[in-house]
Amino acid sequence: MQTSRARLFKEYKEVQREKGADPDIQLVCDDSNIFKWTALIKGPSETPFEGGVFQLAFAIPEQYPLQPPQVRFLTKIFHPNVHFKTGEICLDILKNAWSPAWTLQSVCRAIIALMAHPEPDSPLNCDSGNLLRSGDVRGYQSMARMYTRLAAMPKKG
Amino acid sequence: MDSDDDMHDANDVESMDEDFYSGEADDYYNSDNADVDDYEFVEDADADSDVFTARRHQQNYIILKEEDIRQRQENDITGVAGVLSIPRDAAITLLRHYNWSVSKVHDAWFSDEDRVRKAVGLLAKPVVEHPNLREFTCGICFESHQRDKIMSVACGHPFCITCWAGYISTSIIDGPGCLTLRCPDPSCGAAVGQDMINLLARKEEKAKYSQYLLRSYIEDNRKTKWCPAPGCEYAVEFAAGSEGYDVSCLCSFNFCWNCTEEAHRPVDCGTVGRWIMKNSAESENMNWILANSKPCPKCKRPIEKNQGCMHMTCTPPCKFEFCWLCLGAWTDHGERTGGFYACNRYEAAKQEGAYDEAERRREMAKNSLERYTHYYERWASNQSSRQKALADLHQMQTVHLDILSDAQCQPESQLKFIIEAWQQIVECRRVLKWTYAYGYYLAEYEHAKKQFFEYLQGEAESGLERLHQCAEKELHQFLDDESPSSNFNDFRTKLAGLTSVTRNYFENLVRALENGLSDVESHGGCSRAASSKNGGSSKASRGGGRGKGIASTRAGCSRTDDASHWSCDQCTYANARSATTCKMCQHRR
Repeated sequence: MQTSRARLFKEYKEVQREKGADPDIQLVCDDSNIFKWTALIKGPSETPFEGGVFQLAFAIPEQYPLQPPQVRFLTKIFHPNVHFKTGEICLDILKNAWSPAWTLQSVCRAIIALMAHPEPDSPLNCDSGNLLRSGDVRGYQSMARMYTRLAAMPKKG
Repeated sequence: MDSDDDMHDANDVESMDEDFYSGEADDYYNSDNADVDDYEFVEDADADSDVFTARRHQQNYIILKEEDIRQRQENDITGVAGVLSIPRDAAITLLRHYNWSVSKVHDAWFSDEDRVRKAVGLLAKPVVEHPNLREFTCGICFESHQRDKIMSVACGHPFCITCWAGYISTSIIDGPGCLTLRCPDPSCGAAVGQDMINLLARKEEKAKYSQYLLRSYIEDNRKTKWCPAPGCEYAVEFAAGSEGYDVSCLCSFNFCWNCTEEAHRPVDCGTVGRWIMKNSAESENMNWILANSKPCPKCKRPIEKNQGCMHMTCTPPCKFEFCWLCLGAWTDHGERTGGFYACNRYEAAKQEGAYDEAERRREMAKNSLERYTHYYERWASNQSSRQKALADLHQMQTVHLDILSDAQCQPESQLKFIIEAWQQIVECRRVLKWTYAYGYYLAEYEHAKKQFFEYLQGEAESGLERLHQCAEKELHQFLDDESPSSNFNDFRTKLAGLTSVTRNYFENLVRALENGLSDVESHGGCSRAASSKNGGSSKASRGGGRGKGIASTRAGCSRTDDASHWSCDQCTYANARSATTCKMCQHRR
């Protein structure tokens, strides 16, 4: 408990110090609970998520960093490896490939990389995965773009 | 003509030569009831069946005790370390990676050392060089530490002792996956060997790690398995390519090498698996497992899926990747096979009927509970009877043999026949038990097979009952004798005779089941066509019919398959309609 708190505090200070160093990621710690974080990440360019801002929720276990944080999308996203309803993410480093040397920041970077490079072979969103696996890249992109517009962009007017 | 050959085999064992069938050996047959003749017959059979059992029980396996295992493991490790000139811990990592096959390690290492080093995580030199810093930042807690509080493996990535200890401890708690632990740095694959564990882990964690290492030596090696008996810590090394899977562990548990259930010859592993599953299917526990989990298609451990995608990876050391829906290998799921995510393989398999089998079985189980109960009761009572016999055998060996030896003034070596009788009983109870599982799965529509099977089973069973009774009841009176009894020699003759006879019945039964009751096909042909081309078939039925009158204890199954023949109630021979007495046994129609 104490080690995880200390480590999270280190990360917190690092985030404060490096503010703006990575313009794509904005990590915020909950005011009252250092084990709850949220992040805003920008959809990577040249993907259907470009222009969108996606919110992630982190729930950090007491054994952190020996155990991985639990992360899910709060913003709806159409992506093969993200559960369409719950926002759960299927990413190896959040499960068995976790290493204590990862940080919340690097988890965010990994999620951005996952957005740009979906892994349709282990899908949580089957429809999305099937579009890619059947080679319908265009269909996939337009669906993903539509949901990005609907859910991850400021409403116009 | 395979079946004919089998037939000869069977005949050899029973020491019945061809004369017997040509009717010249009437004395054999007719004097069956006399114990003396019986015994002669038995002596003969004994000689042959000894050869038979010797062939059968030729040891094709070695039982390993824990110290043997450690010794072998140690030899392999030091051997590899010596030949490759690498440290002991590197040798362990290498051997584990190649499933403890020394030759595979050598082959791989000498063909491409660099590739092996990379795959296993044995770095030749550090990835990060440290100038002479006095302080380091730990890659996990991000605190600065003095040099003496920092450790790293071959790669040189610095982590503090506390974080290392936590990292190692977490991975050991997680399971045998700790044997393939790598440096915590995500980009680094450097192996963390036992040296590091021994430096940093707590005492009980070290013990657990070394236990995993020992287990890995047995479990990852294809030639070795643990004895499945509860509490038994021996392992078995099995020579590949040998026939017969029965293994007898030093703990006295007999089991099947192939499926690690208890020994079940002559019934095949599939039948036994279904039967055991069926027996336990009644329990709540099993119902839950069936409803909520699936066995890993490779290692068969039940897996509960609580979240995530359908791409499953079994826990180490299995690590098999498969699809949760169809349980097929994940590598089969590609566009190549048309196996998109919705897993049409499942649908296709269902259409092909691969899933119907299981469902049909479930359905049948519900509808035929009575039938099942019939077989189960007999299976279970033979099971408990065997347990009792085992206890009796033990009692005999430890207590009664002494008493008997004194009471009858016989040296113990002369009383071996009693032990042999009990061993035979134990073995027969085991076989008999499994024949009930076999009987349960024998298809209803295969009438001839079923009849033949039940006949053989009935013969064997009644033989066994007589033996069991003789060994249990008749023996007791000799224990209480004040002075040596004159009847004791008769008893010896009788018990030894019964032992051999029973053994023969069971060898017969085992053989028949092992070749899938294939004798019956020719038998069916015979009773219908009576072309007598298939002499073997009548032999088979005659062989059993020679059952010293017990055949009559079974319900006569006088079959008149077609108008031109009738089968004899006593020996089942298919006689021409015109005959009024059986051509074989002179039994009246």
